Amino acid sequence: MSDIAISADKLTRRFGKFTAVDGVSFEIPYGSIFGFLGANGAGKSTTIRMLCGILEPSGGNGKVGGFDVQTQPEQIKTVIGYVSQRFSLYSDLNVIENLTFYGQIYGLENTSLNNRIKEVLTLTGLDRYRQKLAGELSGGWKQKLAIANAILHQPKIIFLDEPTAGLDPLSRRGIWELLYQLAEKGTSLFVTTHYMEEAERCNTIAFISDGKILKIGQPAVLREELDGQILEVTCQPLMKASRLFLALEGVRGVTVYGTTLNLNVTDQKTVEERLTACAAKEGIRISSIKPIAASLEDVFSDLDTKRSADA
Amino acid sequence: MRSIWAIAYKEFIQISRDRRTLALLIIMPMMQLMIYGYGINTDVKHLPTYVYDQDRSYLSRRLINAFTQSDYFTVKFQVSSLKEADSALDRGFAQSVLVIPPDFAANLVKKKTTQIQLLIDGTDSTPANVALDSSQAIINAFMQSEKLIPIQVLPIDFRPRLWYNPDLKSTYFMLPGLIGLVLQFLVPMITATAIVREKERGNIEQLLVTPIKPFELILGKIIPYIFIGIFIATSIITTMHLLFVVPIHGSVITLFLLTLVYLVVCLGIGLWASTIADNQQQASQIVMFFAMPSILLSGFIFPTQSMPMWVRDISYLIPMTYFLKIVRGIILKGMGFYELFDQVWPLLLMAVLVIVFSIRRFSKRMA
Repeated sequence: MSDIAISADKLTRRFGKFTAVDGVSFEIPYGSIFGFLGANGAGKSTTIRMLCGILEPSGGNGKVGGFDVQTQPEQIKTVIGYVSQRFSLYSDLNVIENLTFYGQIYGLENTSLNNRIKEVLTLTGLDRYRQKLAGELSGGWKQKLAIANAILHQPKIIFLDEPTAGLDPLSRRGIWELLYQLAEKGTSLFVTTHYMEEAERCNTIAFISDGKILKIGQPAVLREELDGQILEVTCQPLMKASRLFLALEGVRGVTVYGTTLNLNVTDQKTVEERLTACAAKEGIRISSIKPIAASLEDVFSDLDTKRSADA
Repeated sequence: MRSIWAIAYKEFIQISRDRRTLALLIIMPMMQLMIYGYGINTDVKHLPTYVYDQDRSYLSRRLINAFTQSDYFTVKFQVSSLKEADSALDRGFAQSVLVIPPDFAANLVKKKTTQIQLLIDGTDSTPANVALDSSQAIINAFMQSEKLIPIQVLPIDFRPRLWYNPDLKSTYFMLPGLIGLVLQFLVPMITATAIVREKERGNIEQLLVTPIKPFELILGKIIPYIFIGIFIATSIITTMHLLFVVPIHGSVITLFLLTLVYLVVCLGIGLWASTIADNQQQASQIVMFFAMPSILLSGFIFPTQSMPMWVRDISYLIPMTYFLKIVRGIILKGMGFYELFDQVWPLLLMAVLVIVFSIRRFSKRMA
């Protein structure tokens, strides 16, 4: 058995004339968390569905757990767990009933099923909600139930489609702690998200936009590789400054943060001079300018501007 | 096998928690029974009748009395002009008017032919026909009892006898048919909505990524509804037999076995509707769309023999057409499996076709 859990090779899916996923390629080893980042409608869910064997690819190849996406979708289903974007367990069944049902579908025997249910309940902390209807659980607990359900048959590969969307920060942290525990045991996790700070938690991330992968790599490396430098500028009035600075030569992007602007610039020195000159002329008060480390959000917005410029 | 059981068990839990559906399953069959048993009675009795008696003799009163005692007519009013009688018919106060001429008794005594007139409101053909037939019988009986015709030996002694339903009770005809009607309506409805609900709530997405096979999913989904269908059929048959005293002449086992076949067809219709519909509302609309022609064309109310040929051809495509002949055959005539075979094989064929078709249509890939 190779140590590659999931691989995609020019995987493509078209819906009529629209190409939702356009030749994406990547390899994900066992025991790692792969973050799939992109805006809504970028093609994240479509990619997941193809890899899970519920959507036929229009082109390209994919392998999940050693099985072919095109020809062996049913075998794939036995070795993966899946947490969908929308809560899709039965809201009119309680926690135990949901888990028992899916356990039986996966062919677990009664005694081992009962043991597994105990294990996943302890792992996720759902123990105290055993008899509660799934529909009455809060958002975070619903997601934990969905994860508990996905790991019941001990899959080595789990797909999670925006597992933290719409959750409060504490619940999100709880979910990620759970994911780390799973990865530690050698499970490979394929996670889509559009929270950049969550992307930082992944071993590898890929940016997808309009069905194409823009960049793929480790978060730290991607931040290092960012063209140009990020300047944090504290100034007043903020919105006027952001408009004017964006028009300056050498400024590739501006992001507004509360009381500061993050500028992506080609060359720190020359741009700093232009900024002060412009500020003096237009009556903008700059209180500080300092270079900072790039965040993944900077990387993503830079990639996206470049892509739109190319198009 | 375990997957099928898992799905069926899960479905049972869900049904037991869905009070609205449960209420529908129990109330609707009983409501239909009450409506058809008590409300819709096509037996015509007590037709409101006005009498314009211009003779006012002993004989004319005897005649009126004969009409009243027949139960078919109820004399509401004696009117004193034809105009009054006309207006009573026009306004719907009377459904028939009996007109007796002034010389009625006199002519009879003189052994001369006399005429009496019965005006009948023919708007609704059913009571009109009853009035026509029964008035004839009443007059004949009247003539005999008053010795107005000599008793003689008739060249043909014609004595028709009604079999299977000698009293011509419409409940005997309607209530067994109700098993077909209620199953045809309820079973596809609950099956289709149960499956579409999984689509609507996104449950199907989670099921699709499991290794479950389409036939396991479909069989598991069907099993609870087979039980429910049998429950509905049992409740109708029991109530019909105990409360409305409809006799069951044939074998109850054959009745249930063939009901099972019909149930599978109904389930199949529901499955098929669920593969087309995206939400529960669409599903119930599709089921309704097929239920309506079934009620009207299957012979549930109107006999198929009276339909034009091309409509009869359509009625052969409706499962209920066959099932009605089966239930009425077993319950009213005491027919057995072999005598009903002409009705059984089309139903069996439909059951197989519709299930195979649904399983093939249900794909584990998303569109």
